Amino acid sequence: MGTSSADVSTPARVATTTARPRAEARWRRPLPWAAGALVVLACLGLQTQLYTGQERTVTTIFMFVALAQAWNIIGGFTGYASFGQVVFFGLGGYTTAVVMYHWQWNFWLALVVSGLLAAAFGALIGLPLLRLKGHYFAIATLGVAEGMREVVTNLPDLTGGGAGISIPTVGPGAPTAYLGNDGFYILFLLLAALAVLSAGLVSRSKFGLALRAINQDEAAAGSMGINTTLAKVAAFTLSGFLVGLVGASYAFQQVTIFPERLFDVDITVLMVVMVVIGGSGTVLGPLLGAVALQYLSEYLRQHYTNLHTFILGAIIIVAVILLPQGVVNYAREAARTRDFSLLRNVRRYRL
Amino acid sequence: MRLSTLVVITSACALALSGCGSKGSAQSAAGSDTLTLGAAVSLTGQLAREGALTKEGYELCQTKVNAAGGVPVGDKKLKLAIQYQDDTSKPDTAAQLVEQFNDKGVKLILSSYGSANSEAQAAVIERNGQVMADSAGADNKIFEKGYRRTFAVLSPATEYLASIVKSIAELAQPKPRTIAFVSADDGFSKTATEGGIAEATKQGFTVLPAQYVPNGTSDVSSALTKLKGQHPDVIVGSVHLVEGIAIMKQAHELGVTPSGGFGESVAPPTPDFVKTLGGQAENVLGSSQWTETVKGKDKYFGTAQQYSDDIQAKYGHRTDYHNAEATAACLALVLAAEKAGSTDPNKVRDALAGLDTDSFFGRIKFDPSGKNVYKPMSVIQIQDGKAVTVWPTEAAEAKFVWPGAKQ
Amino acid sequence: MTAFVQATLYGLLQGGLLALVAVGFSMVWGVMNVINVAQGAFVVLGAYIAFALNSTLGLDPLLGMFVAAAVLFLFGYAVQRGLINLVINAPIYLTLLLTFGLDLMLVQGMNIAFTADFRSIPTSWAGKSLALGDIRIPLGRLIAFGVAVAVTLLLVAMVTRTRTGLSIMATGMDRGAARLMGIRARHVYALTFGLAAALAGLAGAMVGTVGTFNPAAAAGYTLLSFVIAVLGGLGNMYGALVGGLVIGLVEAWAGQYLPGTWVNAFAFLVLILVLLFRPSGLVGRPFYASRVEV
Repeated sequence: MGTSSADVSTPARVATTTARPRAEARWRRPLPWAAGALVVLACLGLQTQLYTGQERTVTTIFMFVALAQAWNIIGGFTGYASFGQVVFFGLGGYTTAVVMYHWQWNFWLALVVSGLLAAAFGALIGLPLLRLKGHYFAIATLGVAEGMREVVTNLPDLTGGGAGISIPTVGPGAPTAYLGNDGFYILFLLLAALAVLSAGLVSRSKFGLALRAINQDEAAAGSMGINTTLAKVAAFTLSGFLVGLVGASYAFQQVTIFPERLFDVDITVLMVVMVVIGGSGTVLGPLLGAVALQYLSEYLRQHYTNLHTFILGAIIIVAVILLPQGVVNYAREAARTRDFSLLRNVRRYRL
Repeated sequence: MRLSTLVVITSACALALSGCGSKGSAQSAAGSDTLTLGAAVSLTGQLAREGALTKEGYELCQTKVNAAGGVPVGDKKLKLAIQYQDDTSKPDTAAQLVEQFNDKGVKLILSSYGSANSEAQAAVIERNGQVMADSAGADNKIFEKGYRRTFAVLSPATEYLASIVKSIAELAQPKPRTIAFVSADDGFSKTATEGGIAEATKQGFTVLPAQYVPNGTSDVSSALTKLKGQHPDVIVGSVHLVEGIAIMKQAHELGVTPSGGFGESVAPPTPDFVKTLGGQAENVLGSSQWTETVKGKDKYFGTAQQYSDDIQAKYGHRTDYHNAEATAACLALVLAAEKAGSTDPNKVRDALAGLDTDSFFGRIKFDPSGKNVYKPMSVIQIQDGKAVTVWPTEAAEAKFVWPGAKQ
Repeated sequence: MTAFVQATLYGLLQGGLLALVAVGFSMVWGVMNVINVAQGAFVVLGAYIAFALNSTLGLDPLLGMFVAAAVLFLFGYAVQRGLINLVINAPIYLTLLLTFGLDLMLVQGMNIAFTADFRSIPTSWAGKSLALGDIRIPLGRLIAFGVAVAVTLLLVAMVTRTRTGLSIMATGMDRGAARLMGIRARHVYALTFGLAAALAGLAGAMVGTVGTFNPAAAAGYTLLSFVIAVLGGLGNMYGALVGGLVIGLVEAWAGQYLPGTWVNAFAFLVLILVLLFRPSGLVGRPFYASRVEV
């Protein structure tokens, strides 16, 4: 998260995640990875307890965990807030749909190709777009996403256009059997695990350090010898790859896809909301944010059928005002400084 | 990181432990003296308006059926209960809600609004062995996938414009020569346009190249400007309410005045159309799934006029055909349960497939793919600010006014 | 040829209306670095206020729009002072999230209060057209265009000649220095946001007269404001007008010479090209992209 603005009170925040003031016991280091593996196993166990409707909800949670983590790589670590991340989602989804519908490819092959295509697109547009900064980058990526949706809508022979395209799942035309709710649960769980793993690896590596340096002060990072263009494009490409994989899986799950849904700007906004509320620039933050927000919106929708959007909006406002740095960052700082005051939070960022 | 790691490990253990027990049994649908139907409707989002009308239709069905004592299933009379959820106008949410209904043991489903949502729901219905009565998803594509558990009470999309073209061919004196179509680019509108073009060609009209506009746009000026130079006799719009209103307003602004006037698929029968356009809506043709003059009656709702009075009394507005098609879907499920003598989804499904009944909505019968091709659509025309039925002539309540006759 | 002239004229008029919708958004972003995702909701709210005044009191929207502007000014002032000022120092996507939450509440609130029915404000004059030979100039849109130009000129005059306006621009350029000079930044920010909301209300009344609206239309206006603000450029009060006119023209010409459904894709293409070659927008000031706030 951008510490380039007023926050000068905790300069050590970046340092705490990589270098420790005292030597870490060797057995502690693999702890986060073990914890992660445990969570994956636990989720598999959870599957036996869920009904199909709940299973779908949890599957959607996994999907957003993966999306949020992917956004975090370019938006949280690097500080380049992309508002067009959904373009990779849609590209991945449509690539899968098109190759499965027109040429009867196997889904697993389509999945890999979709991810790679999304990554290639990311590299292609990243090069010119990442020269822009701040809001302009955000809007440019938004423009790309919206533009791509329009392009997809206007190629009806290839993509079905506004009428949508259906992946064949029954009968002899179907290249891969439909995975079913259980299958998709596992697929999205694996994708979420992959995303968290990637974010974790990036976070702890020199690459991650480079990204954080770019976030704090790009000019200084450049003068320290970091190839900022390469680092930024690599982050953007990686993020695009992960989102593309998720989009491909989503397309297969939905069977029939439409451009308005696969390129829906709401999906990007949700990614951003989850990362920011959870705590951007951390690995745990987007995870918690995705779980909390998706579960909350599902719960509200079921129990407050008429008012759920209204209540969700109010909760977001309150969360942003009281915890602007996100839950995880707040918790870490509060644990470290023993200061749990939410009011201090408000005082920090207000005018 | 220590704190976070601790948190993660604790929650992981909690999750893992939860996987050790056994799953409780799925709740069964309510008590055995109610017939529970599940309805995911669009209460928020782009389709909120039509979703609200759909919900009204379902609610009226519940009220009237229960007022008549309930649904006679076997030797019991079951109370009708409909559970509602909001799908926020998104197809994947609509599908997910069908799954959640399935978890709760609700197997008989009333569709959401619109072809996109209904299509998504139909796929889930097929997989779960539920049954769905489709009230508002008219796109023929839904029924070309081999689904056997979804039944649409409304006429398919291809009929929307074909009926307008048929009415012009039959009743317009002198007959116009050229027809131009303006279509939104979503699936339903494009299917309707195909149906309209096919019918127009069959009837011997010259069909100008169709103009496509982005779905949901309020600016159709470029399509109209292009058409102005081609001088069509009739302009027919395969669009929804927003584009439909825009066509009329902008045609007036740009001076596009085809001698035969305008026709549109979905917009003219709705009250909003006349309210927002005032005098500009005069003599516009529209196609409707149902009007108050439709012939037919049934034991719960009486005739079409009686149904209309009930909606007016309960909701205070003139009946929209979206109300009627929703009630008809609910009625179809109710009659099927009665015919099957059980609420078992497979028996209800078979009963629906063999249903052939008269109703306030017209004839309800399904072809093997699940479409209702036995009920004709009505063509209405705005005359003096009211939508009156002008075709088919047996059900007409006013004479067809042909703007082209004034030349 | 007439089709081209007609399309151009219509596009310019449409562009003027779009500029009116976007001008508040552009101002708020330029001066305060706040992205107001609820801009579309403000516009639709203004339309509903003008509609309500018209249907209950029979007030013509040309007068009703001032009432809508006043109501929205108060609302915007309160929102800025009470909510947005609390997170103004945080990274940009936090204010974005806040306004996103506000947008959810406003749109759903309007959905519940007014239902999702489509409305339009009926007037006797909006549907008429002036005719120049074969070319039609719709009166309603012409007036909306006039209002847009007048508003822009007034805004420019305000920020260059009045003390309030100057304090707004000063705070936008360097908040720290402005505060040191005795400008009350909290109040100025609230004033700016209130002004932007008022302009949105004005635009809403015009939109309601010329077209139709319902709560779901809000998202479209927000997206439009984004595109126009960036295209025109920040830091310059003419930016929205320029951006709006360009978008209006581009869409009109694209609609004439490409299949109708390519219009939006073309508009976004233009946006991206402009951003790549002139990142600060057509008439924007580059300084605004790299401000550091204290």
